[in-house]
Amino acid sequence: MEIFLQQLVNGLTIGSIYALVALGYTMVYGVLKLINFAHGDLVALSAYIGLVILMQLAGVLSPALLILITFISTMVITAIGGIVLERAAYRPLRRAPRLSAVVSALGASMVIENGIMLIWGPMPKIYPASVVPNINFDLHGVYISLMQILVLVISLVLMVALYLFVNRTKLGTAMRACAIDQDAARLMGIDVDKVIVTTFVIGSALGAVGGLFIGMYYRGITFNMGWIYGLNAFVAAIIGGIGNIPGAMLGGMLLGIFNAFISGYISSSWSMALTYVLLIIIMIFRPTGILGERVAEKV
Amino acid sequence: MKRWSLVGLLAVVVALLFTVSVFAADVIKIGVQAPITGKFASEGQSIDKAVRLVVEQVNKKGGLLGKKIVVITCDDEGKAVKAAICARKLVNDGVIAVIGSYTSTCTEAAEPIYYRAGVLQTSDGTSDTLVKHGYWTFFRNSSPNSSEAKFTAEFFLKKQHYKRIAAISDYSTFSVNLTTAVVKDLKKMGGNVVYTGKIVSGSQNFTPILTKIKSYHPDVIYFGGYYTDGGLIRAQMVQLGMKADFVGGDSNDNPEFIKLAGKAAVGAYLIDVPLPEMLPYPAAKKFLKAYRAKYHENPASIWTLFNVDGLRVILYAIQKTKSLDTKKIAHYLHYELKNFPGITGPISFAPNGERIGSAYMAYIIGPDLKYHIVYREK
Repeated sequence: MEIFLQQLVNGLTIGSIYALVALGYTMVYGVLKLINFAHGDLVALSAYIGLVILMQLAGVLSPALLILITFISTMVITAIGGIVLERAAYRPLRRAPRLSAVVSALGASMVIENGIMLIWGPMPKIYPASVVPNINFDLHGVYISLMQILVLVISLVLMVALYLFVNRTKLGTAMRACAIDQDAARLMGIDVDKVIVTTFVIGSALGAVGGLFIGMYYRGITFNMGWIYGLNAFVAAIIGGIGNIPGAMLGGMLLGIFNAFISGYISSSWSMALTYVLLIIIMIFRPTGILGERVAEKV
Repeated sequence: MKRWSLVGLLAVVVALLFTVSVFAADVIKIGVQAPITGKFASEGQSIDKAVRLVVEQVNKKGGLLGKKIVVITCDDEGKAVKAAICARKLVNDGVIAVIGSYTSTCTEAAEPIYYRAGVLQTSDGTSDTLVKHGYWTFFRNSSPNSSEAKFTAEFFLKKQHYKRIAAISDYSTFSVNLTTAVVKDLKKMGGNVVYTGKIVSGSQNFTPILTKIKSYHPDVIYFGGYYTDGGLIRAQMVQLGMKADFVGGDSNDNPEFIKLAGKAAVGAYLIDVPLPEMLPYPAAKKFLKAYRAKYHENPASIWTLFNVDGLRVILYAIQKTKSLDTKKIAHYLHYELKNFPGITGPISFAPNGERIGSAYMAYIIGPDLKYHIVYREK
């Protein structure tokens, strides 16, 4: 039982990181029907930006303030990165065939990845040890650290906030309208470009939180880690139903838990392979993911 | 016309070679075959500098058997083709022994040439195959790859007395081979390996596999991969409240390991050949001091010192046998030299030219985040 619960904690931690990153994929897909392959690399970039800010401010501020400022400034900078990405790589191709946009996305991914390598070098960079105090709770043999609790709580809060934003605010409603039919949305007086930019801003900022969690929890960051986290998050988005916001959250959590249980109960060597077998099975029975893509209701 | 000029050139070269060897009668020539340029340049240059330092010391004391020693260096650039060319050149130059090369590839390419010429060769190459050709001319001055596994097994069972052992590797050839060899040697010595598994290097989240390993209640986890993963494995072990020891193979030996693991690094064990400044032997301290005084820097790595030891035993054997006959010197090194006090530990050779004993050491990372030797072969 302890082992089971421990694996659940392990899975939920990495799962929330996947979920945060997956939201960026799914929101952009929802509005633009475009898979933003550069999103994973933006996450990696945010981890590096966060590290630079941390190193600059370490010792000047109290720990709580340091973490808060690091998070906010990294989210802002990464969001600006998202806007630049949209302007440079996607907007000029909005009317082009979809394949061109995919190639542009892959190109942007490589530009960011190699840019990180040129600036910070190919060797792993390491986050300082005790940004978040190293406190470990022992709950009857199940261990959970303060950092893990932070990851879980902050992710949950952000996801609830996003859900409320999309469903309860005017801009969120506009976003949903664009996802259903852009032309109709424009006819209703919605500024579609503004909505798309907002989507990129929110997706990138959430990805930045994921990137910072990777840095603070796992400590080691590499220039090419965007690929593996991006791939897993992308899979999470598909499992939940790409374009569907609660689906991305569910998919991320499921992927993390599934990975942990396969490693724990079957074989760690097989965890990746079996994760993709799961993806295939889900795709066979539910081609639009567990919660399904939000499809326009035809009347 | 062209052909004739080529023949003429050859004749001049041959004539020159002869004059050189006539002049050479009253000196002892030692060759250095090392990567002076290229990827391993820092290692090659360090070896060359160290050899010249030792020779200078000997010459200052009046040389060997009343003769001065001359060093001839040939740059093999770490490439096999160049290594063969270097070997022929050094043989033609009339060297009696060659130090080198740094890489196993270059060493192996040059071995048959030195063997056919009856020139002694000593190298730090770690590939196991180097001593498997039956060449009496070859002496390894370091430890082969397979000795790390054997040393690890001995450390586990004779020093630490581990009862339940878990071993993990990543998917790289290096890591799989090392970890498999460790597990094999452990089982051969009666060790109880309760779990073996693999991780995906760079995947960062190792808590699932560690939680699984925890249920086997091991008293040690061996990791035969790289420090980027090893540091995280150690940190996550501590985070999961695991009491088992962590022992990392040689690729965990990197300052970044401690940075990655943070406070969790304290108490972790690493197994590797030592850094030059960690050698506990008096001869080592003396040599390092002389090297720093002459070149104002440290030797590039421990491999320089292995090569210095190779040179020192050959010079010692020449002195003992009072002969420049390489057959006699080789015989002395194979059968009579016992526990020569080397810089890198006591030196003896097996009949196949393998250095007896392991240069590997086990370290523990102390609360000061520095290495402390806990075990080495006596």
